[in-house]
Amino acid sequence: MAPRQSSVFKLTWPLKTILQRSAFLLLISLAIALLFLGKANIGVVERMRTATTDVVAPILATISQPVDAFHKAVGRVQKLTSLIEENERLREENARLLKWQAVGRTLEQENENFRQLLNALSDPLVLPITARVVGDNGGPFVRTLLLNAGRRDGVRVGQAVVAPLGLVGRIAEVGERSARVLLLTDLNSRIPVVMEKSRHKGILVGDNSTSPILDFLPTNATVSAGDRIVTSGDGGMLPAGRPIGIVSSVTERSIRVKAFADWTRLEYVSVLRYDLPGMSNPDENPGDLGESRLDAK
Amino acid sequence: MSPTLAYQFNRFLRGSVPFALTVLLAMMSVVPIGISGYANVTPAFVAISVFYWSIHRPYLMNAPLCFLLGVISDCLTGTPLGLSSLLLLLTHGIALSQRRIFIGKSFFLTWFGYLLIGFIIAMLSWIIACLYSLAYVPIAPILAQYGLSLLVFPFFAWLFGLLQNNLLRLT
Repeated sequence: MAPRQSSVFKLTWPLKTILQRSAFLLLISLAIALLFLGKANIGVVERMRTATTDVVAPILATISQPVDAFHKAVGRVQKLTSLIEENERLREENARLLKWQAVGRTLEQENENFRQLLNALSDPLVLPITARVVGDNGGPFVRTLLLNAGRRDGVRVGQAVVAPLGLVGRIAEVGERSARVLLLTDLNSRIPVVMEKSRHKGILVGDNSTSPILDFLPTNATVSAGDRIVTSGDGGMLPAGRPIGIVSSVTERSIRVKAFADWTRLEYVSVLRYDLPGMSNPDENPGDLGESRLDAK
Repeated sequence: MSPTLAYQFNRFLRGSVPFALTVLLAMMSVVPIGISGYANVTPAFVAISVFYWSIHRPYLMNAPLCFLLGVISDCLTGTPLGLSSLLLLLTHGIALSQRRIFIGKSFFLTWFGYLLIGFIIAMLSWIIACLYSLAYVPIAPILAQYGLSLLVFPFFAWLFGLLQNNLLRLT
């Protein structure tokens, strides 16, 4: 591989330099061309990406396992120090939540009765697919996650991704056994939302900062910090009423939302398989629609 | 006398160390490690590697390999395809054209070189990202990534130096 100093080499090196230079320029132009191709949303580019992530996802899953194990160990040691207080707190919380559960059950039953009285259609069943987070964006330009579940597991583009505390984002790309999640903080993320109390609808717009912007609210809407934001279900892609976050700041220029999701502890997330009957093509979503109908009876 | 097949294979394996190592680093940079905000400011391990090898073993880290590494890391991170390739090629190009200054000199000069080149690349990447998305992309994470990369640079330079002296002495 090392260039050997021979007379032939000395003769040919100007030619070699020219070749190298032109190869360099060619590759630079190729990179710029790729950027434009990607912007134009050409299928080939996406297929190439998903093919790569399909290959890499199992490797990443293996690499990330010791990291996860280490984290669990550290977490366990940290918890040991506050075991008694934690236990006490959880006992109290449990008692409180049990009361809430009773209230919730009554309300659910009541709601069900009202629905039946009004003959209202119930929302289709939402089936979660639990997937492991094997990769993050690893850089400042995008906000994404890589999951180790893909098309063969029923993941499709556009499905909602939720963590225990709230919505995380949506599926942007799907490979055979891997999928990429566009987080709701990403520059390209747009999620139809509704304010839980006032029922004003808006769009949650990501801008790569930690707190996305609540935009396109009606002009007469009054918003104050602490208001809860949930998914509106507009567009039929996301189930309605999933918690997203609370309004963190209201200024003249923008309303910021702080998401409930704990971004640092996203080890497992749920991808929600959800179909509004008649809204999606059963050929593109095999299985999902049938299972959704099980609920409708 | 032509070298034996085993020798050539050995040489090929040793020669592919910089590339293989950089692919591994690209994967390491997307592994979630659970520190708040780390994902957005993960040091540019790949860029550090490309910079180092472009100076010390340019024929093992040539332009096509840089391009390929860019494509791999773009696919891994979800960055617009071509962005990393462009930035890595520029890093490679600048490092290669200035390698006479760095080679055989003290480590601090290389570090200072990375300080300058890294800054140029960071600014350039910010401008390209803004133009690409036709929106204002927050610059703070990009600068934070640059700062962190600068901090971890000595460690990686030491690691690469070790590999270079042990595995790549003859290549």
